[in-house]
Amino acid sequence: MAEWHEYPGGVYKTKEDLYRELKERQEKITQMGDPKILEKRRQTGQLNARERLEYLFDGGDYTEIGMHIKHRTVHFGMDKAWVPAEGVITAFGKVNGRWVVSFSEDFSSMAGTFGEYHGKKETYAIQFAMEKGLPVIGMNDSGGARLHEGMDTLEAYGWLFRMQDLASGVIPQIALLLGPCLGGQAYHPIMQDFLIQARNTGFMGIAGPAFVKTQIGEEISLEELSGWKAHAVKSGQTHVLAEDDKDVINKAKELLAFFPSNNREKPPRIKTEDPPDRLAKELDGIVPDEPFKPFDMKKVITVVVDDGYFFETLGLYARHLITGFARFNGRPVGIVANQPMQAAGMLDINASDKGARFIRFCDLFNIPLVTLVDCPGYIIGSQADWAGILRHGAKMLYAWSDATVPLISIIVRKSYAGAHYGMLDKSIGADFVFAWPTARITIVGADTAASVIFAREIRESENPEETRRKRIREYSEIYENPYVSAERGYTDDVIMPHDTRKYINQALNLLENKFVTPGTCPWKVWRKYSNINL
Amino acid sequence: MESLEEVFQYQLVIRRQTVAQETIEVPLVGKVLKVNVNPGDRVKEGDEICIIESMKMENSILTPVSGAVKEVKVTSGQVVKAGETIAVIEY
Repeated sequence: MAEWHEYPGGVYKTKEDLYRELKERQEKITQMGDPKILEKRRQTGQLNARERLEYLFDGGDYTEIGMHIKHRTVHFGMDKAWVPAEGVITAFGKVNGRWVVSFSEDFSSMAGTFGEYHGKKETYAIQFAMEKGLPVIGMNDSGGARLHEGMDTLEAYGWLFRMQDLASGVIPQIALLLGPCLGGQAYHPIMQDFLIQARNTGFMGIAGPAFVKTQIGEEISLEELSGWKAHAVKSGQTHVLAEDDKDVINKAKELLAFFPSNNREKPPRIKTEDPPDRLAKELDGIVPDEPFKPFDMKKVITVVVDDGYFFETLGLYARHLITGFARFNGRPVGIVANQPMQAAGMLDINASDKGARFIRFCDLFNIPLVTLVDCPGYIIGSQADWAGILRHGAKMLYAWSDATVPLISIIVRKSYAGAHYGMLDKSIGADFVFAWPTARITIVGADTAASVIFAREIRESENPEETRRKRIREYSEIYENPYVSAERGYTDDVIMPHDTRKYINQALNLLENKFVTPGTCPWKVWRKYSNINL
Repeated sequence: MESLEEVFQYQLVIRRQTVAQETIEVPLVGKVLKVNVNPGDRVKEGDEICIIESMKMENSILTPVSGAVKEVKVTSGQVVKAGETIAVIEY
């Protein structure tokens, strides 16, 4: 132990002792908390909080901030509790050569519980990242609120949520769900831009099974209530599912590579060997002759993008709408596409929510958007109407209208009714619309149109079935094609499927410097934000 | 907010069910055109369970798991709503 030396004005320690004291404090903190939990982690193959940071940052090299931060609670034995780093390690370092801020909750340190100063550390990390224009990666693995601290814990949640909102749209925020995250705390990963969940160890929910049982009498396991199926499949809150800690972190790095570090930068362009004007002959045969037969839109995506590489988000949720990132000529783009293989590729409430938030993320971070359209429309019927398809579907319209990034629409087949603008067309803001010869761009399908316009004629006809068929055919021949739209200039050109990649790349070249802000164009006047139907 | 005990539990509980069930639900309102399976049939992942006609499309409903068909809840010609059970597969 360091020895105090006396002098008339007080006491002092030698430098040697002071330096040793620092080293001892650092060692004690970096050893982390409960050895039993650390050992259990080692056995099950899970990484601990510091190993996760080492795995995230290039060469395992990170700079920690706030290592010595300590709570100030004295009640319920907290004055004697040892909580290294307050249960969360905040750090910055480089990820694939780019600066990133991260915080990693430490389950071995008082179960990574969230108290006043734990919250302060996380809030500060986000504020720090926002001010410096750096992405944030948060690693969640926490026993929840530290109830010992009462009101102070509660207040810290508010600081965190508010800071996340202030940073939203300024820097990309990625949440990694590596352990439990239950209770009000779960709003924290939810409020970030993307959430990646570890299949067997990540749990999230507004309340865990014990709470659910006592409060509302429902009996359900933690796995079922809060596991991967709950969020990647049912609730649509887990954007990417990964197998274990390393896989989660790898996927976070992969995702981050599409994003700029902040909203003032363009997304990083990389070199590719894939020629920008490559003809994709395999696309010419992909759309079936019969309009009621499905085809796999994911094939179209992987054929047109660079090197067949597509990073899908929310791939297990509302699968009739595909969202994800890819590159064209090395430029990151967001892709929004209908999947006719699933639920006719229509837009329903979940698809609209999924699509609109994706579009808005891309717009916030200057990532151009490309749509591939084969959509019969928004879902109809009492079930959809009563659940509010109109207000949910409106999110897509708001998202497209508000978007200022390059917007390119490829109409592959059906583009009917509300889905025409719901999936991006000129009237809602597209810069370019190209249609395949297989496109059917009109207000409704021929059968619907005929049954409305010619209802009386059909009813009163001597041979109603024949009249109906004749009128459907007539309507179809006139309107169910890409040329009426092209004649008016609503579609810029009708292109062969194999030219799609070439046209998208040319459009992106031209739109490289598209820049729309209040003050730069007459239709963007100052306002706080649009009143999107949330 | 959670109790610590509960959170610790998650690491201890490893559920191993010998038989699991997958419920295949109607993805969108429409009319059942054709049902391809009967209770007791074996199905492979990706097999077509039925076709639902809706929104101008013939929508193939595929099983996401291989197993035995336990129940079939729809018949051809029936109008179904999103979320209704089509079939239950045991695997």
